[in-house]
Amino acid sequence: MTIATGQKEARRELQPGSSRLLRNIWEHRADYAYVLPAIVVMLIVIAYPIYYTIELSFFNTPPGLQLRDKNFIGLDNYTAILTSEVFWKVTWNTLIWTLGSTFISFVLGFATALALHRDFIGRGVLRAILIIPWVISAVAASYIWKWIYHSDFGIIGAVLVELGLADRPPNFIDSVGTVLPSLIVVNIWREFPFAMIMMMAGLQTVPDQLLRAAKVDGANAWQRFWHVTFPHLRNVSTVTILLLAVANFNSFIIPWIMTGGGPSNASHIWITHIYELAFGRQRWGVASAYSVLLFLILMTLGYFYVRALGGNERKDGSA
Amino acid sequence: MSTIAETAPRDQTSRRMRVDGWRWGGRVFLVFMLLYTALPMIWMLLTSIKSGFAAMQFPPQWWPDQPTLASYQKLLDPQNSVGQDFLRFFWNSLFVSTATTVLSVIVAVPAAYAFSRFTFPGRNFLFFAVLLRNMFPAVIFLVPLFILMRAIGLVNTHGSLVLTYLTFGLPLAIWLLKGFYDNIPIQLEQAARIDGATRFQAFILIVMPLSAPGIIATAIYSFIGAWNEYIYAYTFLSKNEQLTLPVGIQRFFSENTTDFPGLMAASFMMSVPVVVLFLVLQRYFVRALTEGAVKH
Repeated sequence: MTIATGQKEARRELQPGSSRLLRNIWEHRADYAYVLPAIVVMLIVIAYPIYYTIELSFFNTPPGLQLRDKNFIGLDNYTAILTSEVFWKVTWNTLIWTLGSTFISFVLGFATALALHRDFIGRGVLRAILIIPWVISAVAASYIWKWIYHSDFGIIGAVLVELGLADRPPNFIDSVGTVLPSLIVVNIWREFPFAMIMMMAGLQTVPDQLLRAAKVDGANAWQRFWHVTFPHLRNVSTVTILLLAVANFNSFIIPWIMTGGGPSNASHIWITHIYELAFGRQRWGVASAYSVLLFLILMTLGYFYVRALGGNERKDGSA
Repeated sequence: MSTIAETAPRDQTSRRMRVDGWRWGGRVFLVFMLLYTALPMIWMLLTSIKSGFAAMQFPPQWWPDQPTLASYQKLLDPQNSVGQDFLRFFWNSLFVSTATTVLSVIVAVPAAYAFSRFTFPGRNFLFFAVLLRNMFPAVIFLVPLFILMRAIGLVNTHGSLVLTYLTFGLPLAIWLLKGFYDNIPIQLEQAARIDGATRFQAFILIVMPLSAPGIIATAIYSFIGAWNEYIYAYTFLSKNEQLTLPVGIQRFFSENTTDFPGLMAASFMMSVPVVVLFLVLQRYFVRALTEGAVKH
């Protein structure tokens, strides 16, 4: 490190005229080599597509991706979306899907992490089993649950009939009223283990002395949790909830494979709807405008995400 | 605080009972979560060893009367067409996932190291840009990427998938690894430099071995992500011989809509590699999350 600083000093004297930022960049030019591969890949696969999506959203595009024939129509795509009934229906579904999945996954994951925090025989095995749904592919999970929900031979329907709770197996994913909650159950099944792992990792950072001190002071289990453990986990919780919310907002596979958005749009969320507009009906311009709107919403969420992470860093720096 | 002081002098027995209440509540909750997690997987396994006829009965056979491995034999038999397809999809998935994993480690390691060690202009911006990638859904990139891939001639090749998967594994990979590098004392490298090693040698010989758990965690994450990815594979690939498992299984099912035992057997075999990989290496993963994501 000292060698490096010495070299920098020497170089600074060599180029007195150039501006400070440029000189600063020039001095660190070797450092950029380490990040360059990551940046190049990101630029190709991220920056260009974002630019292209924004551009397309202002155009009326012919089907079949003959994009030389597109023509400029200003904000027409946006007004068409915001005045359509489907848009509000899909937005409502997305809201229920995202909030419901995120909240329940987090609560279940956190509670499981707490219950697993105390050591007992078989804890490792139990933890491993609980993580499996998160690891297996969402496509496999969708098919497993599609079979479980099957309207004629599904196991849940059969159990309900055996117990005398229903005359015939209910239609979980073929009826408008039950389809979204049924899909949320599948999503939570796949997602609570992530919250569990994150919160388990977080729990390990709670200092034992504090908990013991609180116990000596006579705090009961709930008070120890609420006044000691929980405040310590605020940052982890924020990051976990944001990551879950973003993942849920962006989820596609479960609704797409299990229902394809049906029946009558009851399980369409934004992403499946955009996909259908683009690749099903080939309305690239409208789909792009949808993407831009989505992008704006995610930027807002992203702002909070970065702030949650940044706050974390600042606290560390001062401590 | 006053409430805590008031509860302190309670007699021992009532407090022990209350603590036991929490503990029993925890146990009941864990049993519930175990059932919620395991029953669907058990039902998948039980269905996969039934005949097609036995699976389609009402009320269902809770336990298969005549267990059979016919579905597995069919999927793994290179002689018949179903087996040929399945094995080819399996091989494609393995190739794409391995290539993605190797490349993302090669790209993420130096980037994370730079984010951890150097202070170059734009460092914070770049780091958050990398993290922000996490936020954007596949669909936003799908149309332009499809056009881009078509322009550079990568549609219908595995290269298009590897390139795309690389970017979505990178943000978390870099984040996880940065946490590891932050925890490796810089003095170790300085000592090596004083002994005459170049920065690159110090990096390869000192830092890389110490961050091995982080690299393993990154590799698992990339592999699982690539193995399970569906939407890009579904959009970029159309030739049957190139499909990866998730898309291949979907195609298989849309042609054989009633072969639930076959579908469950395929789902099971698709899950085995990633589940085994994860269970063997999970402690690295949990540790990486603890060091990278949580502790910061």
